[in-house]
Amino acid sequence: MTEQKDKNLGRRQFLTRAGKAGVSIAAAGFASYLLYDPKGPPRQAVKAEQLVTLPDFSVPHKAGDTISIVEGPDRKQTITKAIELLGGIERFVKQGETVAIKPNVAFARPPMLGATAHPELVAAVVELCRKAGAKLVYVTDNPIDASASCFTLSGIRKAASAAGAKVILPKAHHFKHTTLEGGKLIKNWPIFFGPFEKIDKLIGIAPVKHHARAGASMSMKNWYGLLGGRRNIFHQDINTIIAELSMMVKPTLVILDGTEVMITNGPTGGSVSDLKRANTLIASCDMVAADSYGCTLLGLKPPDLPYLAKAQTAGAGETNYEALKPVLGTV
Amino acid sequence: MDSTKGKPKKLESVVSISLLSILVLIALAVFIKQSDYDMSRFGIEAPVGELITAKLHSLAPAGFETLSEIEIYHAENLFEKIDGKAPLYIESGFEKLFTRRFISKEDENLWMELFVFDMAALRNAFSIYSVQRRADVEILPDMQFGYRTSDAPYFVHGKYYIEFIASTKSDELFKAMMETAQKIQTSLALDADTEIPELSYFPQDNLVSGSQKLYLASAFGFEKLTDTFTAQYRVGDDTVTAFLSDRPSATDATTLFENYYKFLIENGGKEIPTENPKAKFVDFYGTLEIVTVAGQFVFGIHEAENPQLASKVEKMILNKLHETIKNIKK
Repeated sequence: MTEQKDKNLGRRQFLTRAGKAGVSIAAAGFASYLLYDPKGPPRQAVKAEQLVTLPDFSVPHKAGDTISIVEGPDRKQTITKAIELLGGIERFVKQGETVAIKPNVAFARPPMLGATAHPELVAAVVELCRKAGAKLVYVTDNPIDASASCFTLSGIRKAASAAGAKVILPKAHHFKHTTLEGGKLIKNWPIFFGPFEKIDKLIGIAPVKHHARAGASMSMKNWYGLLGGRRNIFHQDINTIIAELSMMVKPTLVILDGTEVMITNGPTGGSVSDLKRANTLIASCDMVAADSYGCTLLGLKPPDLPYLAKAQTAGAGETNYEALKPVLGTV
Repeated sequence: MDSTKGKPKKLESVVSISLLSILVLIALAVFIKQSDYDMSRFGIEAPVGELITAKLHSLAPAGFETLSEIEIYHAENLFEKIDGKAPLYIESGFEKLFTRRFISKEDENLWMELFVFDMAALRNAFSIYSVQRRADVEILPDMQFGYRTSDAPYFVHGKYYIEFIASTKSDELFKAMMETAQKIQTSLALDADTEIPELSYFPQDNLVSGSQKLYLASAFGFEKLTDTFTAQYRVGDDTVTAFLSDRPSATDATTLFENYYKFLIENGGKEIPTENPKAKFVDFYGTLEIVTVAGQFVFGIHEAENPQLASKVEKMILNKLHETIKNIKK
């Protein structure tokens, strides 16, 4: 009976049924549209009270005692002189303090290639801190490559340990979330926080390197190592992230090593042919000033690196390093 | 009662058959596509990866042993190995990186790391090799494209770009690296794609050996100037950089020629009058830019400080291209 009825389906019935089907499809489509979430599930956000902020480790400084530039081929001699010209290590490290040194240990590469901080320089800074009476000296970084290999093959683990530092490799419990006030990128983002939580002073050590994405990798870019998570996404906006790092980290001192400069194929390099000897070492309380001078060793000027102006605008330092009356020396 | 009322009309049949045909085509397309997915995205190693991994096991040179396991990187995690250099590789067609360290059995200070970049095609491998090529190097004659610095060799083998890092400068270590390089040459098969035609389109007179580079994207900061080769020419103390790009058609080449000229003018260049409608001379902040079109080729001179040498090289390339175009037509 029903079959017979369907066979005799009239135009009106057909249109009614087609209309109903159309309305059903449209309703389903509309419901899907309403339920569609283009952003996908949100990242596991950390509650505001669980967010951390890196302490301010900086020391007071003024023009004439902020940045020193020393020429010479021997890193131990140049760093000793550079710190002496800024008032001596006692200005930065007091008896009984705990100091963290954050060298650039990004890659599992030998010191000869200049892709990482030089172990002799790291050891020299550890020795200076110990000499000033530091209770504990940590040497730590959160490398891109496998951390144990990076610290071992770069020679930093052996040199730092021999000089009396405790080398800390990153562990999952060291990471906590932070949000940078006024930041565009660093929002509820994990950072390598543990080793810096209870220290008194923080010193950064970085080589001067060409960087395919940023133009140059120096003392400000060195803090990229503090970022956890899939930090490579920040390469899409490299100038902003470096500027934000300069806002997030307020170190006691930065040391920029231009003894041998990676002038091409950075930041990894891969051959001694990528290096040029510049025999220059910079110590500075102002990392924007340090990098503004450092980039000249690569044949660049501060305006060539947009992150420097951004950092200055954010109040992180001074691109006109000459206004800070650098103290010069030679050894 | 109309006996034909329950029967489908011809139009309805045609529509139904069309809809069913489209559904069949969609099903067929889905079937074909799902057979060709990227296995690496699903955590399964593609056969080519397995093949290279097997080869890497046998690449240790005499007197050396493995220091690390084989590491494999994809576009998604390449930054973990080479950080800020990763975009350069990815934009050049990178597919995979295989690395492994080897250490001397006699001296723990002598170790090396081998990097095998699968760049998917010879052109991509040549591009990444050429833009990173170091200055003042020694050419490795047994390689299609290869050189050595004082510490390590670098070369292209088909679609692979291969480099080493050395723990220290050492003749023994370099010898070991070359042994591994030769093993790679004999064990990794070359694709059919073994030539890059454009390299032969540059005239040889005054060409600086090994200076040719391939920019796959955004040559000279102009995003439309893709697939562009450059080469340096030297006469006395003066050097100029020539460029050349083989476009899909003469029309495409003319469009690129006009767009690049506009790009130069919009960025502060000033036209220098010329009677040749197929060439533009531009004063670009005290240097000379020449952009020319011939058939399907766009070529010219970039940032020349010596206008005479620039014009001379531009004419040399034009003459060479005329020969090339004739040969292509044959």
